[in-house]
Amino acid sequence: MEISHYSTYSTLLLAVLLLSAPAPAHAQQQQPSIVQLLNEPFLDDYYSNVVYGYEIVTDTQKNASRYAGNRLNCSNCHLQAGTRKDALPLNVAGMYPKWRAKNGKRNGIGLRIRECFLYSMDGIMPPEDAPEVLAISAYVTYLSQGQVMGAEPEGRGIPTLPDTGYDPNPANGRAVYLAQCASCHGQQGEGLAGMPPVWGLDSYNKGAGMNRIREGAGFIWANMPLGSGKSLTHQQALDVSAYLNLQIRPADPRASKFLKLMEHLIN
Amino acid sequence: MIATLLREASPSLTWTRKPGLWRTEVFAGFVGAILVIPQGITYAYLAGLQPEYGLYCAIFVTLFGSLLGTSSMMSGPNTAVAILTGTAVLPLAGRGSPVYVDFVFLLCMMVGLIQLLFWLLRGARIFQYLSPAAISGISAGAGFLIIMASLDSILDLSTFKTTFFYEKLYVIGSDAIDLMNPYSLTIGLVTILAGYIGRRYSPRYFIIIAVSAGYLCGLLVAFIWPQPVTELEYLGRMPLQWLPFSIPTINREYLMISASLIPYAITIAFIGLAQSLVIVRELKMETDQNIDLDKEVYAQGMANFLAPFFSSFAGAGSFNRTRANQSLGARTPLSGIAASGFVLILITFLGPILTYMPMAAMAGTLFIVGADMIKWRDLTHYAQVRSELIIYLATFISIIFFDLAAGVAVAVFLSVSVFMLRISQLELKVENSGSGILLKVKGALFYASIAHLTEKFQKHCGENLTVDLQYTTHIDQSAVDFFIRESRNMAAHGARLRLLINDKQRDFLKQLGASSDIELVSL
Repeated sequence: MEISHYSTYSTLLLAVLLLSAPAPAHAQQQQPSIVQLLNEPFLDDYYSNVVYGYEIVTDTQKNASRYAGNRLNCSNCHLQAGTRKDALPLNVAGMYPKWRAKNGKRNGIGLRIRECFLYSMDGIMPPEDAPEVLAISAYVTYLSQGQVMGAEPEGRGIPTLPDTGYDPNPANGRAVYLAQCASCHGQQGEGLAGMPPVWGLDSYNKGAGMNRIREGAGFIWANMPLGSGKSLTHQQALDVSAYLNLQIRPADPRASKFLKLMEHLIN
Repeated sequence: MIATLLREASPSLTWTRKPGLWRTEVFAGFVGAILVIPQGITYAYLAGLQPEYGLYCAIFVTLFGSLLGTSSMMSGPNTAVAILTGTAVLPLAGRGSPVYVDFVFLLCMMVGLIQLLFWLLRGARIFQYLSPAAISGISAGAGFLIIMASLDSILDLSTFKTTFFYEKLYVIGSDAIDLMNPYSLTIGLVTILAGYIGRRYSPRYFIIIAVSAGYLCGLLVAFIWPQPVTELEYLGRMPLQWLPFSIPTINREYLMISASLIPYAITIAFIGLAQSLVIVRELKMETDQNIDLDKEVYAQGMANFLAPFFSSFAGAGSFNRTRANQSLGARTPLSGIAASGFVLILITFLGPILTYMPMAAMAGTLFIVGADMIKWRDLTHYAQVRSELIIYLATFISIIFFDLAAGVAVAVFLSVSVFMLRISQLELKVENSGSGILLKVKGALFYASIAHLTEKFQKHCGENLTVDLQYTTHIDQSAVDFFIRESRNMAAHGARLRLLINDKQRDFLKQLGASSDIELVSL
């Protein structure tokens, strides 16, 4: 008797639960958050790769050191582990594959991630099926849940600055840098206390997108100084970007092969 | 019993009392360390893991295997074990992901525990029943799998997956120009050629010649074309630590899923021990080392059990490194201990240089290793005895069409069957004497071999029979029952059965109540 009572109750309870659960409007609402995933004792193949990808993005130095050549982490540019708008968010799986002018071919998400390792991380290009690349792809897919295929997500990439009418002035940029940026990124751009180096051999190389003045300026204007983005004027952001562009940094792997090899052996 | 086990469980350290040998041992260890580095990296690749796990295996499995063992055998990364690890864990998680690593560690602990169980049950003797032809067949099959795996990296087919080897060969043959990477192919071919030419001049160190040639060729390619053009796969930086402690994740979910790993764990434990014990037995025959087989089983089991705690996967004894070690005059476990120390020192300094090691060069050395494991001489050698040839070929074919685990199962089954067939064979000699027929029986008389006797008994039905059992090695109950039944049967036909036996057999037969029906004659 006892048992049958219990089973009736539990069936009723289950039915109530099933009925009261709201019908899912979008698939992404069913997706567990990263914090939930981190607390799971066991994850399936997909979610374990998502978590691994998240760990690589937030701590590249520890989790993908095989292919990283400098002291940066993915989340130094892809702020808040790639979830911040106007700071190169990673919810872009629906945008790939696409043609890119940089290498003049059709780029899948895998090739895009591999090129990030080659230029921004100043490392070596991982193979297409490297565990790290697959994990970051899984994380990008996870973040892109609910986005429309082929449509630009809101706040994708970085804002394009309007033409200010003046050329960027590196001398002015140096003054702004020393006043506003040097407290975190250091007088010599070496990066202090967990902040990323912005030039020198431990920073991104000359082939990276951040090394182009207009792209760098857009990122700086929208997000820098960290926490009070959009406080600089457009012209100030352009000036700082021009100043950074003049500094010494690792060579472009497409151009100087011998230099590149020496840099890798020294590091 | 417990005292014996405790004695076997503690390291013997007899080499500490022979300081005269230390110099030779340490040098042999140095050479072993150079040989194991490319192997560790490539075997980690076969196991689906990052290269540093292979190097940790070369350090810690070698260290524990030698520290607890008694022989100069070099343990460490092993081809068959690495391939089996890969095939076992790949269905459960993405290659190289943290979950994959967790499962590999769990598998290694299971392997270690099973091997320790072998030690507790005194299982070292079981491996004598595995025929040498089976071991050669397994080795040849593993060599074939290695060659196929190396083709992936040499031709840069990594994103292209096939199920069967002939599928892969067909695709390579039909679409080679579109699929393969010419830079990678060049480096791979240079490595293989350098290996085979280098072998002419230095049969011992040719792997190192091959790796260096491939590395230099890779550098040359990197000077001319940038990596975005060549898309070459490099080894990359290895985040190495001197003491890479890790605690394997064990919880209910992992244990439930890992139930599917148990058959593989048994196979790996078995094949690892089989190889190690073959090596140890050869060492025991060829050198004057004081080797304890049970202790070696314990050393292997303990090394594999402890491996996951040092970020390493399972290993076993290595034929080629033990042979090199032996040719340099190593006779104590100190050489293995020295080798693990030198690996640690060498990779600390070689680390930055290895960053630019092309995977195609590593795959080239794998190709050479794999090709060496398929020996034409083995085939001609075993071709002389039909049963051995069948074992060899059946093992090889089931490995290349199914997988290594299936091949090991077939090898064990066939070895045991051949052994059983042999043992159930009786040598019967029939002599006609004045008073009747004298039947001399040689071999073991048990349930499986009585059938042969039955034929003879039926043939000489109605005649007086004397069975000479003095060359019989073993008699079991069913044989005695058979004699009792036959003697009653013969008595009905007016004939008599006499058994010529020794004292021990007499006691046994009397115990089973045979003396009332059969005439027993002691010799």
